[in-house]
Amino acid sequence: MLVGAAFRMTQTIAQERDLVTAEDFLKIPRGHGWVSRWMTIAAFAITFLTILPLPFIAWIGWQTGWETSISLIFRPRVGELLVNTVMLLVLAVPLCTVLALALAWLTEFSDLPFRRVWAWLCVAPLAVPAFVQSYAWISLFPGLNGLWAGVIISVIAYFPFLYLPIAATLRRLDPALEDAAASLGLTPWRIFFRVILPQLRLALCGGALLVGLHLLAEYGLYVFIRFDTFTTAIVDQYQSSFNGPAATMLAGVLVVCCLVLLSIEAGVRGNARYSRVGSGAARQIEPVRLGKLTPLCLALLIATALFSLGIPLLTIGRWLMAGGADIWRFDEIGYAFYQTLVLAILGGLLTTLAAIPMAWLSIRAPGGAQRALEGLNYLGGALPGVVIALAVVTITVRTAHMFYQTMATILLAYTLMFLPRALVSLRASIAQAPVELEHAAASLGRRPANALWATTIRLAAPGAAAGMALASLGIMNELTATQMLAPNGTRTLAMGFWALSGELDYAAAAPYALVMILISLPLIWLLHDQSQRMAGR
Amino acid sequence: MSFLELRSVERRYGRVAALGGIDLDVKTGSRTAIVGPSGCGKTTLLRLVAGFDVPDAGTILMDGKVIANASGTVPAHRREIGVVAQDGALFPHLTIAENIGFGIDRNAPGREKMISDLAYTVGLDGHILLRRPHQLSGGQQQRVALARAMARKPKMMLLDEPFSALDTGLRASMRKAVAEVLENAGITTILVTHDQAEALSFADQVAVMREGRFAQVGTPRELYLKPKNRMVAESLGDAIVLSATIADGWAECSLGRLSVDTTERRDIARILLRPEQISLRSASSTDVAAAKPGAIFAEVSDAEFAGAISTVAVKLLNNPDSPELAAIGNTPLILKKPSVESPAVGEIVQVAVSGKAHILE
Amino acid sequence: MRLLTTACAGALALAVMCTVASAQDAEGIVVYNAQHESLTKEWINGFTKETGIKVTLRQGGDTEFGNQIIAEGAYSPADVFLTENSPAMALVDSFGLFAPLDADTLSQVPEQYRPANGHWIGIAARSTVFVYNKSKLSADTLPKSMLDLADASWKGRWAASPTGADFQAIVGALLELKGEQVTADWLKAMKENFRAYRGNGTVMKAVNAGEIDGGIIYHYYYFGDRSKTGENSANVDLHYFKNQDPGAFVSISGGGVLASSKHQKEAQALIKWITGHAGQEILKTGTSFEYAVGNGADSNPALVPLKDLQSPKVDPTNLNSTKVTDLMTKAGLL
Repeated sequence: MLVGAAFRMTQTIAQERDLVTAEDFLKIPRGHGWVSRWMTIAAFAITFLTILPLPFIAWIGWQTGWETSISLIFRPRVGELLVNTVMLLVLAVPLCTVLALALAWLTEFSDLPFRRVWAWLCVAPLAVPAFVQSYAWISLFPGLNGLWAGVIISVIAYFPFLYLPIAATLRRLDPALEDAAASLGLTPWRIFFRVILPQLRLALCGGALLVGLHLLAEYGLYVFIRFDTFTTAIVDQYQSSFNGPAATMLAGVLVVCCLVLLSIEAGVRGNARYSRVGSGAARQIEPVRLGKLTPLCLALLIATALFSLGIPLLTIGRWLMAGGADIWRFDEIGYAFYQTLVLAILGGLLTTLAAIPMAWLSIRAPGGAQRALEGLNYLGGALPGVVIALAVVTITVRTAHMFYQTMATILLAYTLMFLPRALVSLRASIAQAPVELEHAAASLGRRPANALWATTIRLAAPGAAAGMALASLGIMNELTATQMLAPNGTRTLAMGFWALSGELDYAAAAPYALVMILISLPLIWLLHDQSQRMAGR
Repeated sequence: MSFLELRSVERRYGRVAALGGIDLDVKTGSRTAIVGPSGCGKTTLLRLVAGFDVPDAGTILMDGKVIANASGTVPAHRREIGVVAQDGALFPHLTIAENIGFGIDRNAPGREKMISDLAYTVGLDGHILLRRPHQLSGGQQQRVALARAMARKPKMMLLDEPFSALDTGLRASMRKAVAEVLENAGITTILVTHDQAEALSFADQVAVMREGRFAQVGTPRELYLKPKNRMVAESLGDAIVLSATIADGWAECSLGRLSVDTTERRDIARILLRPEQISLRSASSTDVAAAKPGAIFAEVSDAEFAGAISTVAVKLLNNPDSPELAAIGNTPLILKKPSVESPAVGEIVQVAVSGKAHILE
Repeated sequence: MRLLTTACAGALALAVMCTVASAQDAEGIVVYNAQHESLTKEWINGFTKETGIKVTLRQGGDTEFGNQIIAEGAYSPADVFLTENSPAMALVDSFGLFAPLDADTLSQVPEQYRPANGHWIGIAARSTVFVYNKSKLSADTLPKSMLDLADASWKGRWAASPTGADFQAIVGALLELKGEQVTADWLKAMKENFRAYRGNGTVMKAVNAGEIDGGIIYHYYYFGDRSKTGENSANVDLHYFKNQDPGAFVSISGGGVLASSKHQKEAQALIKWITGHAGQEILKTGTSFEYAVGNGADSNPALVPLKDLQSPKVDPTNLNSTKVTDLMTKAGLL
């Protein structure tokens, strides 16, 4: 659901060298009093909104009565879901990591033929929504179900999220370090484990966290293969009782899972985030010769591409053939396409605007308070869409009827869900626009707002566009929150696909899947291109 | 008359005092250099003057008018102060012409001509005007930054280590060029630098800064030859500091009896000699034996060839009787001598001092 | 700065425009539709064509919408509520949120298919069936009663879609017919024995594929698939429990007009149209294969006639969806 957030990882890594130093602390622009003040107020307000689901869950728990709440949390069903969820994470995340690592190494370091093509094919699956992957597999293997099906499809749907940051980091590794290790007598294999792998820690941790959070939030993928997780159970409860306390309590447990994941990642990562990853020089050394292993390595790449792209495209193609002309209900598909586009563009724009204050503060006025605030933003972004939607629906229906089932509300929910994506992109690009430029503009007679516009905002525009594209991509493929919050009469492509596939009309659902993939592809291509450029290629 | 006045200006960041009560007067049309190591507060001072930051206490006046005090500040864009930053801070998304013309009203008549005139003034070829900053060399970038800052006809120019990123050779020529341009335009200038030679050669007035305060302010000559203390002395060039007893305009020290620039009397004092005041003349051991009282001999203990100039270390041979002086005499004097006449290791030399010694606080 | 302001203003204007646009779309009446979207679309297409009244659909589940309407209270944007089963209608009615239906609407449907208070009305009906794989089960090995499925011999052999309102309505009937204890025990055994799928169609698909022997679903999934490609029903047959067994429960799909609706006239007209001749005819001729309930309306001739089903008598107003959700949550099915 959070498709594309891996790009933000790539960009974070690409920007490591621009990390704020103590020197920058001495540059708090007090002269820009009003800008700072408003940015701070806005950042606080937006952060408050992003973490709203947490007090919301507590509020419902208190309203329901603690005894009832506890009985809703500590029951066998929750235990089952917990086992399912934990098993899924424990199996899928390491598998994803190993696969992504192998693919990234092959596409960046080896002499595999057509490496650039393979690199693109490793990213392209991002254009296929996870539920479409599942739909493709279930069409091919109708009996597929349970944990292992969940693990396999999850790995296939989500490995690009790990591939992207790993490949970006590999590209930026300083070849001199490897040379040094080799001159100290290490074999290539040991160089990989003792020199390369440790430098990938940041990428691995961040990517694995991202995949883990996606798995917790994923709904459609697991419904097709009848694998219950907290998210599917919350939606089930919602469909049985709208906003009953049972759903909210499940959401509470899910939030705890997210927090556990976040803290595990923080623990494993250690201080890696603040260490220098590489010199930023593009890797220009001789690729490793694969020799006799070439066919084997090619086989891995071919299999991955076949599973992650071939199966969905083949299945969609097959259903399109089977459905013939009847399934092309152009009025309905066109309308869904239009609505999806409007929501994605508006939501992306709003998300980017909402990210500006926090991004600005984190570069221009870094400090303890700012770090805490930014951390809360990422925490909010880690919450699954279903939790955010549940909170927003309950709050609007109970206390803010004005906003209930309005465009404004669903856009707000999208903003909360996808804020971190826009934030990271923006943050990286604002870091590329040093405050000195703003000062130079001011000393040349431009008023503060004008100086900000003529320099920082102008220079941050490409990053902002990337952030917006990421948010839009997420919105296009969003399902659960959209279903719960959309204004009456809304029918996005994802909703259309879901309704039709829910009635087992897989053929009629195929055009929707195809359109979703086709509008995502160019965005993915642009982002891939940008991430490569930011990584110095 | 003072164009810029700083009165007890303070700026703190949390518990760190970046500036702890600064006073400074800058005369109209003059050039002032502020020199000090990184972190001494000189950039903070520049930012306060430019209006990028506000003082916690104290007052800054320009042309007799308050432009900043604790209660308010004239924002940067209304101060008419030009700034050239260390790396030029050129706008990467604009061409050179657009950079130079950034501060000129878009509809100003003759804008194009102003831009090309400015480029000419700072010594830039007209053909680079359509390029982007990253296509320029470091020196060219600094010229563009200067032209851009001058386009507004500022009353004052602030230069924040503008030459530090340049090659040694280029640095000197750029310094001279910038000084000329500013001189011709009659713009009051403050230069911030950690390079003492740059400060001394560029400015009419030099301020040595340490830990947020001025150690000494004065003309370059005054500061170089008559620094208040050892720190100021050392921050402006190599210094030889010796213990001495002072009486009647003479100092007794390990280099014998030296003339000093004061008539006061002190039992124990520290005197400053610049290495260039000390000359060496070849001698032999027989000369040492036959030395007249007061003649000082030394043996070359180390010599390092570095092209035109060599560094020579000499150890004094005939120590006077006083034990304190003996202790000092044992540490070699480090001198820089033209390589063509520098002595070899082991050679005996006679040491002579020209000019007066300066007494430090 | 001007550009930034322009961009912000543009975004806002666009947002406002879209809100207005969607508000204009909502002109006419809003239906919270828990019925199959395809069936309701057939109805509203006919209705709009005849009356010119625009209808906006919001798609969801029975109990989801029931609870949603209660939570929305007087602010509900919905004008009409259509369900697949009765419990959600009873739930909304218990909160007094329905407006009484016009008398001539009520007179279109026999009394047994609507509550006595006239606050909502049956719009269609569906029968519980046991769908089974013909190569795995035969007439003599079929369960005699739905309650038999609690038996250990059925462990791992039958399927259902417990999260859907359909199955929850069946449990509601069981609760009404046999009481809380029997129901709770049966659900507990079910948790042990059954395999969960999402959606009745998926259950039938699995039975057809031989993944599992049989499953509890409603009848029309079979007929619908037969009328199309038949790919999900070729190997299955339907078993009707009959004998007034809880498994022979016939569920009434309901329709009602919300008291909070500001378009009472149009909303009443829609219910009248659906329960009238034109609406009921769609059930007979269309692809829904649900039973028609209107006076003198015939169901699709392919179906086993309603009167032959020997269904148990269940007062639809007594079906308690909240209790069912609670019991199923307790049994670990939700």
